[in-house]
Amino acid sequence: MAMKVLVVDDSITMVMSLKTTLSMNGFEVETAANGQLALDKLSAGYRPNLIVTDINMPVMGGLELIPKLRAMPGLKFVPILTLTTESDAAKRDEGKRAGATGWIVKPCSGDDLIRVIKKVLPGA
Amino acid sequence: MASMAYREQELYVSTSAGREDAEDDPSSSANSIRYRKARSRLINQTIFRLTFILFFYLMMRAIVGPVPVGAEGATAAAFFFLLVFPTLVGQWLNWKSALKGIADLGIIGTLSKADLANVSARSMAMRNELQASKPYIDVMHDQIGDSLAESEREVIEVIQQISTLNAKARQQRERIAASIKSGRELTDSTHQRVENNKQIIAAIDMQFETQIDEFRNNFERIQGLADEVAALTPLIKVITSIAQQTNLLALNAEIEAARAGSAGRGFSVVAFEVRKLAVHSTKAASDIAARINATCKKVDQELAESRASLEEHETSSAMSQLVGDLNGMQSEFAKNGQLLLDVITEVDANYAESVERLTQALGHIQFQDVMRQRMEHVQEALQEMRDHMQNMSEKAYDFVWEGNFDPTFDQMLEAQKDKYRMASQTITHLAVAGGQSRNTNDGPMIELF
Repeated sequence: MAMKVLVVDDSITMVMSLKTTLSMNGFEVETAANGQLALDKLSAGYRPNLIVTDINMPVMGGLELIPKLRAMPGLKFVPILTLTTESDAAKRDEGKRAGATGWIVKPCSGDDLIRVIKKVLPGA
Repeated sequence: MASMAYREQELYVSTSAGREDAEDDPSSSANSIRYRKARSRLINQTIFRLTFILFFYLMMRAIVGPVPVGAEGATAAAFFFLLVFPTLVGQWLNWKSALKGIADLGIIGTLSKADLANVSARSMAMRNELQASKPYIDVMHDQIGDSLAESEREVIEVIQQISTLNAKARQQRERIAASIKSGRELTDSTHQRVENNKQIIAAIDMQFETQIDEFRNNFERIQGLADEVAALTPLIKVITSIAQQTNLLALNAEIEAARAGSAGRGFSVVAFEVRKLAVHSTKAASDIAARINATCKKVDQELAESRASLEEHETSSAMSQLVGDLNGMQSEFAKNGQLLLDVITEVDANYAESVERLTQALGHIQFQDVMRQRMEHVQEALQEMRDHMQNMSEKAYDFVWEGNFDPTFDQMLEAQKDKYRMASQTITHLAVAGGQSRNTNDGPMIELF
């Protein structure tokens, strides 16, 4: 059974490229354009095996979203990877404290992304 | 005199002092220092001139004598309006012009009233020009925005093309896999049938071999019988010979019986009968010999044909050929099966490679998002610049403005460092503007916590 991935990013090109990349590599992908829309989707019962989120987004950014995800039932141990242009160490620490599993700086090659995903999702 | 003093009023502002101060203290605004110094000098100058007027008044009193009684008021008014008031007005105008001159030009040298009027006109032109920068910057801002939108559309198109390409490749692969599966099933089924047919043919072949063996045995038996029949031929000759001798004996007996007369009459009848029997025997033996010969010839002919047929069966069995053909067919199927396996393996490998390459290509597409964020940052900076220049345009003709910008371009540029998200933005900034980054502690591109 295909692993489910939720992609949260306000950039349409990022969402589309990630969706295509992950689908090609056997994942089932859902998308949300910001943190609030992601929360809405998860509140409706959707449970992914992995979440990939941007940091800087309108309405609700990644650093605000991650702690809320961790507080939701069934998402405490789901891997959350950030995919962002932010390379600053202070932001990175903030993400770590918020509960992110890993920090990936854009642009990230497709191979690297799939390798990291397979590392945090051993069954994938 | 006062009027002359007003007309020839000059501002002495030490530009070198202002510059030195600005160089000594780069963090403060050079213009701000110039303003303070110019104001201070103007105030000192005003006090000096008023003191000079007072001194002049006292000197006049000493020379001319006391003011006549009743003329004190008129004298004081004349003194004030002719000397003090023009001096104050002149100083005030000089002060305003000096401030504007400093703001517009950094005040270099000495400005006459005509120069000040000129500076004022230029200030107006400067204000108009600064105001005109707004549509210029707005156009550039929107050019960047439109370029971003266009690149986004193109990138989306590329992603859709890649997605379609991948979907078609996957569909093709699935179709090929399905055809190969059918082909393999057909091969397996045919292989099974060939195996079954081989068993049947082997059984038939075995039965055929048995029949040939039986045929061979019968042939040999018939050959034996034919040989035995042929072996009777010499016996016929013996019988013929015996019959001829019997005939000869009977003839002799008949002659002797005739010689014996009536006594030999009965014996003559017997001899005659014996001779007739001998003739019959000879004829019968001859018939038997003829039939045996005919039979032997026929058997020989049949045996020859049977032998030819047997030899033909033994040398080229149709069944053996059929089995051989089936074996050939089976090996052909096995070869084709392997070929199909090779094809599907290659198709799988090619598909995996295409997925890998497309994944790489999609990774590179992230540059669009990176570029978008950098360009959006530039757009924000352009808007800041536009607002700042509008603010400057308002100040350009403001004669009471003290000459402070908040923020200045220097401060705005410095503040940009805090807004950068990417290391590349900071690197570009430092390469152009110099200075040090506040966010140099960048981690690896990928980090798992």
